[in-house]
Amino acid sequence: MSVFFRRASFWFLVFIAAAGLVGPRLLVSPADVVGAPFARPVWWRGDLSTSKTAEISAAGGRAALAADGFAKDDGLRAGASGLVFDWKTQPAAVFALEGEITADPARTVTVTWRTPGKDFELVRRDGREKYWLNLDARDMIFKQRLGLPLIGRGTERLFPQKGRYELAVGGAESFRLKLTLRGQKQGLLGTDQRGRDVLALLLNGIGTSLTVGVSATLAATLLGLGFGLTAGYVGGWVDALIMRAVDILLAIPTLPILMTLAGLWGKGLWQLVLILSVFSWMGTARSVRALTLTVRESPWVEGLKALGAKKSYILRRHLVPETAPIVLANVALGVPGAILAEAGLAFLGLSDPRLVSWGRMLHEAHSFGAFTEGAWWLIVPPGLGIVSLCLIFMDMGRFLEERIDPRLGGEDHAFR
Amino acid sequence: MRKNWLLRRVLASLAVLAAVLALNFVLFRVMPGDAVSTIIDPNFSPQAKERLRELYGLERPLPEQFVLYLKQMLTFRFGLSFLSRKPVWDELLSRLPGTLILMSLAMFCSAALGIWLGVKAAVKRGSWLERTVLRVGAVMSSFPGFFVQLVLLMLLAHDFPIFPLRGSLSVPAPSGAWALLADRAWHLALPVLSLTLMGFGGWALYVRNLMVRALGEDYVLMARARGLTKDRVIYGHAFRTILPPLVTILLMSLPGLVSGAVITETVFSLRGVGSFLLEALSGHDYPAAGASFYLLALITVVCNLLADVAYGLVDPRVRLEGVNR
Amino acid sequence: MLSVEGLRVRYYGQTHEAVSGVSFEVPQGAFVGLVGESGSGKTSVVMAALGLLPSGSVAAGAVTFAGQNLLALDEESLRRLRWEKIALVPQSAQNSFTPVKTIGVHIEEVLRVHLRLRGEAAKARAAALLEEAELDAVVACRYPHELSGGQKQRAAIALALACEPSLLLADEPTTALDVITQAGILGLLRRLQREKRLTVLLVTHDLPMAASVCSQLFVMKDGRLVERGAPEELLTAPRHPYTLRLVRAIL
Repeated sequence: MSVFFRRASFWFLVFIAAAGLVGPRLLVSPADVVGAPFARPVWWRGDLSTSKTAEISAAGGRAALAADGFAKDDGLRAGASGLVFDWKTQPAAVFALEGEITADPARTVTVTWRTPGKDFELVRRDGREKYWLNLDARDMIFKQRLGLPLIGRGTERLFPQKGRYELAVGGAESFRLKLTLRGQKQGLLGTDQRGRDVLALLLNGIGTSLTVGVSATLAATLLGLGFGLTAGYVGGWVDALIMRAVDILLAIPTLPILMTLAGLWGKGLWQLVLILSVFSWMGTARSVRALTLTVRESPWVEGLKALGAKKSYILRRHLVPETAPIVLANVALGVPGAILAEAGLAFLGLSDPRLVSWGRMLHEAHSFGAFTEGAWWLIVPPGLGIVSLCLIFMDMGRFLEERIDPRLGGEDHAFR
Repeated sequence: MRKNWLLRRVLASLAVLAAVLALNFVLFRVMPGDAVSTIIDPNFSPQAKERLRELYGLERPLPEQFVLYLKQMLTFRFGLSFLSRKPVWDELLSRLPGTLILMSLAMFCSAALGIWLGVKAAVKRGSWLERTVLRVGAVMSSFPGFFVQLVLLMLLAHDFPIFPLRGSLSVPAPSGAWALLADRAWHLALPVLSLTLMGFGGWALYVRNLMVRALGEDYVLMARARGLTKDRVIYGHAFRTILPPLVTILLMSLPGLVSGAVITETVFSLRGVGSFLLEALSGHDYPAAGASFYLLALITVVCNLLADVAYGLVDPRVRLEGVNR
Repeated sequence: MLSVEGLRVRYYGQTHEAVSGVSFEVPQGAFVGLVGESGSGKTSVVMAALGLLPSGSVAAGAVTFAGQNLLALDEESLRRLRWEKIALVPQSAQNSFTPVKTIGVHIEEVLRVHLRLRGEAAKARAAALLEEAELDAVVACRYPHELSGGQKQRAAIALALACEPSLLLADEPTTALDVITQAGILGLLRRLQREKRLTVLLVTHDLPMAASVCSQLFVMKDGRLVERGAPEELLTAPRHPYTLRLVRAIL
């Protein structure tokens, strides 16, 4: 058995499980929006823009600046009249400005976005003491006001070329403004259609796949063990009944029934586990029953019965340990099936939307236009995640199967 | 002797069908709680609801409802869809050809490719072909079908736009029979290609194993001893002997294709029975969902029965059980 | 007809030789027997002659037939000789027929491939062959698993004679059959050999049976030929201790 622990696939599994456990704690919450929609991974070639934010508070001629994402040579400077910096890449994907400005009601407050090409007057207001701003270049009103094209991202016009840019505030006593410029590149694996970090989503998905995969298989195996032992050992009409049930359940098309139960009954995690286990115990039941039948006829069990051993004793102390090896192999080989089933249902949209799952990621990629954007980073990572887990479990399962086969003989019973 | 065996198989299938009907009844009439809202669109007027109540016998006790339900299902009277207000049967009938064509093309292509490769791998033992076939066959079952399809879609419909991104037909549809056929084929190309890629590995592995065993048998050696050519021995004797299990597997793979069709139709936005089921479930359209599920289950039962019968036809040893074993 | 000189056979993956330097001659028109217990290498001699050893096995020496060394021929030349000139009645005819084809199809196939005989002519010849093997013509429509052991053996003989070979190699044709059926098969072989002037090499472990039909016997043990001679000589005055033991076992 110790050879098992030296197997590469086992350590891959440990690594992935650890990543799934630790990763979500270290990274941002998968529900948080961290970047522009469909941002590419940060290591993508080309001079795509990265995310930068700058928060400036100015009062009484002095300004305080909190910036993120700007490099030293971007020449970011803040003053009582605003911000200034160099822009060296392609346009940002998101341009958002929010904050408040305090001013004398008699004075006109302006906020101007100065580019190497054109100047854009974002705000021109007067008559109030305090103004709240919440501007986003994706808003229609914003685009209309500035004469930007209504279709497509307005940010292209806001960043006409590389050069010096300025956010100038005029006529204000004090202000706090936060400029958020979300880049075309974000994160190690990019972002999804809402701007959520894909790496965070990926790591959170590990837990879902492993939980559903392992629990559904364990439950199915327990059911299969129970029914198989009963059918094989008790025999008679009980056996016939159970086998008839197995035949019928096997004849029902799998995906449609899973879809129906998930769609009509419930999409929650544990409901899914229940549904999956109810429709996957049949295979185990058959092999356990076959093994039970052969062992039941064997001379040493006859001997035990002659010595007066009760049925339950024989069952517990001898039959169950006999079946343990196949059961173990079945579990390892059954997990991929459960993982794939969960992923399939999630892909079809029949899983809990609040639960992060790789299948769900693929569903959203498919439904929300990842193809039009060419966002391969939304498809390849979760898909490869599913494939890896399946390959790992199948490798472990096959290894166990090979180890177990010679022991199914029954010769070593005489020496117990 | 032969009739006895056939009769037993048919009875078993009927038992399964009965179970499916009962299951259908429970799932789509009893479980959702309010039996009424499973057949009668909640948006109908109260008078219409009353009349439909009587028509569907929703006032009567459950066992009577079940009998009525059985009659409806067996005569394919599935009622009206909530979402489209049209008879469900008409909708299903219009979508059935698309699904059947997709399934049969996929099955034919993956089986043909897989069998061809499997035989070649078994004949050329130890070659790189055999090793590749074994590895691919083993790995393929770990890949979720929809992942492969999504990747193919990305590569061949977006990065290199050879194929369309979605749909069964272009919008607007071209005129003229040949152009229409070509358009349909162009839209079916990626789905069929993806299903073939997913399916051939299993076939190749299975056929390779069967052929390796067959080629090691005495009768194959004897066929060679009789001076028959290598091809004749391989195809006429070894392959011919493994045909029965192959035919069975062919027919038994049909139910699996049904599941595959659901996913494929969703990925490529094709119009078929599978996507119909999904839409019905998502929209809580009980009549439509119940009918689709029933139809898919029916196809599965029929396929399993056909598989049994076909095996009996192709392998004479099974047919004449009890003679000189 | 057949001349074996210094034949050595080693199977793939084995260190010891299955056949170590065996030499004997089979005269034309003779009915000779190759006798030995299982594992003595006698079947290997037959398989080597037909070029049917498993791949990777090595056969050295010479097996001469009609002036050609069979061991030196390529597969295609060997294929043309098989069945047309040299036919095999195999050990355990149980598994020598393809399970999903009828006996008739088996016979018609070799007739088509070797003699270019088709259709009605082929069917007629197949029926004639079965009759000669003392089988009912309806056997042609039967599948192998529908026949008894004896019937299958006769069918195998009929099949072997389909293309009128000059040499018949009969490898343990009567094993696993009851004594009466054995006698029937043996009688059939003798009759056919006489009528068609065949040369027959009978391979068996049953010394008395071989002694009753063969004109010459070759005794093999552990891959070597230990004795040769006419049956009367061997039975009355065996030279090798092994032959002695075999003879003693009968009496």
